[in-house]
Amino acid sequence: MKWLAAGAAAAAAIFALIAPLLLKPFGIYLISMWAVLTIAALGLNLTLGYAGQVSLAQGAFVGIGAYTVALLTPVGCPFALAFLAAGALCFAVGWVLGYPALRVQHHYLAFVTLAFSTLVFLVLRNEEWLTGGIYGINGVARPSFFGWSTFKALNFYYFSLGMLAVLAAATWWMLRSPWGRAFVALRENPVRALSLGLDTRRYTLMAFAIGSSLGGMAGALYAPLVQFIEPVSFTLGLSFNLLLMVIVGGSGYFFGPFVGALIAVLLPEWMRVAQGYYLIVYAMLVMVMMAFCPSGILGLLERALKAFAPRGKEAAP
Amino acid sequence: MSAVLQVSNLRKSFGGITAVDGVSFEVREGEILGIIGPNGSGKSTLFNCVLGQLSPNGGEVRVDGKPTTGMRPCDLNRLGVSRTFQLLQVFPQLSVRDNLILAGQEHRGTMLSRLIGRADAGLGDAADQMIAFFRLSHLSSAPAGLLSYGQQKLLDAAMAFMAGPRLVLLDEPAGGVNLTMLGHLRERLQAYHAERKATFVVIEHQMEFVMALCTRVLVLAEGRIIAEGAPRDIARNPAVIEAYLGH
Amino acid sequence: MASFFQLLVSGLATGAIYALIAVGFTLVWQTSQTINFAQGEFVMLPAFFVLAAMNAGAPFWLAAAISIVVSIAVLGVLFKLAVVDPMLKYGVLPLVISTIALSLLLKEGAKEFYSSQAQPFPALVPAADIDILGAVVSTQSLAVLAVAIVTVVALNLLLNRTRLGRQMQATAQNSTLARILGIPVERMVLYTFLINAVLVAIASILISPIYLAKFNNGDTLGLAAFIAAIIGGFNQVRGAILGGVILGVLDNLSAAYISSQYRGAFPLVILIAVILLRPQGLLGRVEERTI
Repeated sequence: MKWLAAGAAAAAAIFALIAPLLLKPFGIYLISMWAVLTIAALGLNLTLGYAGQVSLAQGAFVGIGAYTVALLTPVGCPFALAFLAAGALCFAVGWVLGYPALRVQHHYLAFVTLAFSTLVFLVLRNEEWLTGGIYGINGVARPSFFGWSTFKALNFYYFSLGMLAVLAAATWWMLRSPWGRAFVALRENPVRALSLGLDTRRYTLMAFAIGSSLGGMAGALYAPLVQFIEPVSFTLGLSFNLLLMVIVGGSGYFFGPFVGALIAVLLPEWMRVAQGYYLIVYAMLVMVMMAFCPSGILGLLERALKAFAPRGKEAAP
Repeated sequence: MSAVLQVSNLRKSFGGITAVDGVSFEVREGEILGIIGPNGSGKSTLFNCVLGQLSPNGGEVRVDGKPTTGMRPCDLNRLGVSRTFQLLQVFPQLSVRDNLILAGQEHRGTMLSRLIGRADAGLGDAADQMIAFFRLSHLSSAPAGLLSYGQQKLLDAAMAFMAGPRLVLLDEPAGGVNLTMLGHLRERLQAYHAERKATFVVIEHQMEFVMALCTRVLVLAEGRIIAEGAPRDIARNPAVIEAYLGH
Repeated sequence: MASFFQLLVSGLATGAIYALIAVGFTLVWQTSQTINFAQGEFVMLPAFFVLAAMNAGAPFWLAAAISIVVSIAVLGVLFKLAVVDPMLKYGVLPLVISTIALSLLLKEGAKEFYSSQAQPFPALVPAADIDILGAVVSTQSLAVLAVAIVTVVALNLLLNRTRLGRQMQATAQNSTLARILGIPVERMVLYTFLINAVLVAIASILISPIYLAKFNNGDTLGLAAFIAAIIGGFNQVRGAILGGVILGVLDNLSAAYISSQYRGAFPLVILIAVILLRPQGLLGRVEERTI
């Protein structure tokens, strides 16, 4: 089965590289959006799929990252620096939010992130002197690197795809390390993990902070992609959207966010006919999924493959 | 011989029910202490209080002289106290080998060194040795969830031993295990005890297992210690027989 | 001084409504470990049932009664059987996700199938101001307070003075023990869902004249419920009442004395403060650590 997964990933990678050459500008914009949202979803997958915590602030972190870049680059800050600043800021904020919230049980992080999301929106909307208020910030520039400009849609797409590849690789490497083992333990059997000396609180906090940081970095790419940002884009709606992406794709699966983001980007396009209904359909899809297959599309695929694949080596009694 | 574990006057109540009523005992280095008693005698509650799963209402727990009452289980484990579980034992999706590496990885280095260091945290060989000791080598890369119940019990014990602990508390290790596997388990526990001079505390129902394994036995009934001594003497103690038959 | 009194009274009225929502939320959580993220939308919806009934020709009182019945059926029975029960075997997390999706569903549903515009909603009593101790107090606030107090007292009597209520409390505190005592636990759990449905319906009828019936009311009301429950102490019904009242009063006072732009921020700051300083809430017990 591993060869199947590797083959599928390779095919998808080739497709991702070639497809934009065949697409119109709007299509290229869509897949650039997919790449950026996947980064945010990757982060949320860490928090939700690996550490088992619900965060309703991922959209707010995307917003913080976006505004960081939109405010720093016009005053001469190089994009790379602004990008790292966005990530670092969101890591710090995530840590500060998570530290008290994770001391308690009862999924308090969900409520704290819910409140934080609303708070961030209020600040973005009210502090006109900084953020431009409801008028937002216009004309966010697309970065250039050593003379190569990302201004053209195709160039920016390859830039976002490259960033996605780098961040995904970094996340993959982290999950292969003892940290990854700790996250699995945290998810599967936290009581047992604690008894083995695993500081569940510390690892959960770390997952949440890193996840939020990835959200900030996604935001840092979102700003130059859309070039006009306003507070309304970063409300709870985006956080919900990202959450549903992770769930539908398959929470806890590494490639879940990739699949989920694809569906989230394409669904509104497929449902152009039924404009406002796509969210309703999406929500119903998630509810049905939770009842029958909480592990999302990739979970369904895994189950299907196990059912049809030849029986593997079974442990002798 | 020094006391590895000291429990003084431990008390725990739930609402109006007193589960542990002023229990005091010591565990000396190198011994295998068995704690037995009829259902509801407070054995599990006592265990959980010592291990930090529950906060006692009164009394003190000391490990190697250091007070550990109410400490978080992960901190206690890093002081050298390991445990096995009655249920919920292993990590089903990780391989047997990964389970063991996990069991030891939190005892080495810092969080940062675990991130940038080796994928197996330098424990690959130690894990292989432990697997060989418990005769599970043929299952080394199998997901732990596929093991039989008895094999999972062995893995559970192996995980508790991975960090080379000062003290191991075993919670009903014999529960639900078939006779052959039981013999194997007991034999492995004795071998480990002999090799590493480890200290065990065992809660158990099965009398034969306790009698064959333990060097000293405590009997709990209704939250209090009613007898203490060598296994053979305990088996003949009238108060103990009364406590078991009276229920 | 007079204006402060007026703010206090209207704050108590809003607080009483928050209390009803928070109590329902806490009850459902206590008995079945269900964190109902759609609680805000549960309060938004019954108002639309009323409006729909009135559009079909029913007078207000009948429409209100119909709305309560429909709420019991949909937000109580249907919610439990179709959403909660199938999900419980997978654990708390899928259920939390499901209620988040449900909140989205209800919100968008109301927007698409009824209207995205705020709908005027009939008040319980004709708006008028009366003079109490030299302060001007609106009859609306008094009516809301009266209904809310009656509801809370009735709920209290049910929970503490009837056999059924005591069985429900036992189920909430320790369902395994309750089962051993012969209490029909599944039925008790169902009853808490039904009670929640009644509470949210009443809250909806009380608050919609003030907020107007709008599809996104759930956002603020849900947040208010969660914050009230946490302030009071997540595992206490009395705490939920206290939390709701405190929140309502503080919210109203802050609106008058703090910039209106940040009006919504005050409850959020309170939440963060509580979680930082006293996470078990005002009346909650420090929970037995199992992790």
